[in-house]
Amino acid sequence: MLRIYYGEPESPKYIFNPDVFFNNTYEEEWITDPLSMKMIKDIDGSEVKGSRLIDSPFLGAIPTERLSGGVKTLILMNFDTEHIFNASACGDNCASWILKIAQNKDITIRLGYLMNFGESRFNIEIVNINKIVHTMKELNEAVLDNQLI
Amino acid sequence: MVGKYEIKVYNNKVQYKLTIKRNITILQGNSATGKTELIRLISEYEANGASSGITLNCDKKCTVLTSVDWELRLLSLKEHIIFIDETANFIKSKRFAELVKGSDNYFVIVTRDDLSQLPYSVDEIYGLKNASDSQKYKNYKRIYNEMYKLYCFDVRERFDPDVVITEDSNSGHELFRLLYNDKCIAANGKSNIYQCISKAKQKKTLAIVDGAAFGSEIGKIYRYIETSHIKCVLYAPESFEYLLLEAGFVDVPKDMLKKTHQYADSVKYMSWEEYYTDLLFQKTRDTVYKYKKSKLASAYKTETALTKILSVIPNKIIPNNSFNNKRENDEEK
Repeated sequence: MLRIYYGEPESPKYIFNPDVFFNNTYEEEWITDPLSMKMIKDIDGSEVKGSRLIDSPFLGAIPTERLSGGVKTLILMNFDTEHIFNASACGDNCASWILKIAQNKDITIRLGYLMNFGESRFNIEIVNINKIVHTMKELNEAVLDNQLI
Repeated sequence: MVGKYEIKVYNNKVQYKLTIKRNITILQGNSATGKTELIRLISEYEANGASSGITLNCDKKCTVLTSVDWELRLLSLKEHIIFIDETANFIKSKRFAELVKGSDNYFVIVTRDDLSQLPYSVDEIYGLKNASDSQKYKNYKRIYNEMYKLYCFDVRERFDPDVVITEDSNSGHELFRLLYNDKCIAANGKSNIYQCISKAKQKKTLAIVDGAAFGSEIGKIYRYIETSHIKCVLYAPESFEYLLLEAGFVDVPKDMLKKTHQYADSVKYMSWEEYYTDLLFQKTRDTVYKYKKSKLASAYKTETALTKILSVIPNKIIPNNSFNNKRENDEEK
């Protein structure tokens, strides 16, 4: 189940800057995990050559630390369920991966904008108001009606 | 600071070219489109100059402001184009907004969150997109570049609204009420636009907002209209005062409206909306068109004046003889 907190969480588990947090906490095996490799390919267009080397079509050979902020946040969501990550570091192109990660585990993320989770139905709990929504229409209206952002 | 600035920054892998012409520019969009890489290039050039292997061409100095001592640094900067990444934790703070106001700098801010304390334009929110098939060169493409057309979802033809929402509750509302009669309601501020559109539900709705300062709301409204499939057209001229200036009630050099970046000094005006308001105040001061925000002068309410206003409103949303009808109704009463 995906749980989303809209606005600014007060929780000490909240990580505002997942990019830096990733650089200082990631495990090498996270990078060569099949799901991570797929996400890196899809979002960054890059091939994982090893846990310490990424082949980017734009930047050439880069270290893991230069993955995009969005894909770093996705990898954190998948491997670190202890924290609440700022998913505003992720663009709309990360939304389907967030839903995929949440199919297998409960994750709580923070958002400060209306991310587009697509036209298919989903189960998302809006933490601020303890409401479960299933479509983008329900989600957007619940967030805006309650002035969560 | 005034002016329009071309920025070209590149190394041997990537190149960016962007044009900055207002005090606040927002970059957002999908992940991995190169926003952070752009900030990195500017930061490394700033630290190492030509020794970085990076080339940066711009008539103004470019700098990157991070969370470290941001306030002290910002207070010391003048005539800079300041880039701020989304990892900076101060961009939503009240203090930052206070320092942007009156600042002699331009700001380029990477963020997907709305910055409700800053009056930025719907016209200055950009995404980053590859400009060539080889993906070697990159260019900025506006997300919200042509406001009227961009937000006319599923509307390709004439739009006759059942409800007209005006952001303004005073002079602007007064004038649009003459044009659209009783269909027109006032939202009393940009933050109430969503509630008004939402209440209108399935009615055909035209929302008229001041584009020069509506940037923090546009993403929410855009997404809401998109997912709710309601019939809503957003019309976002720079501001109501801009429309009056453009309509030509008083003589204003064309450049002051068409090349506003040359005149709207960021030290004096936090947004172009403030600039146009001030300009209208000045230009109409000793005329029958003397402008007050609270009440519209009667000279703006004549048929000739209303015709002038209609001449600067997009044809697709011009009401059908509404002010004639209104006049007839008033005379009957």
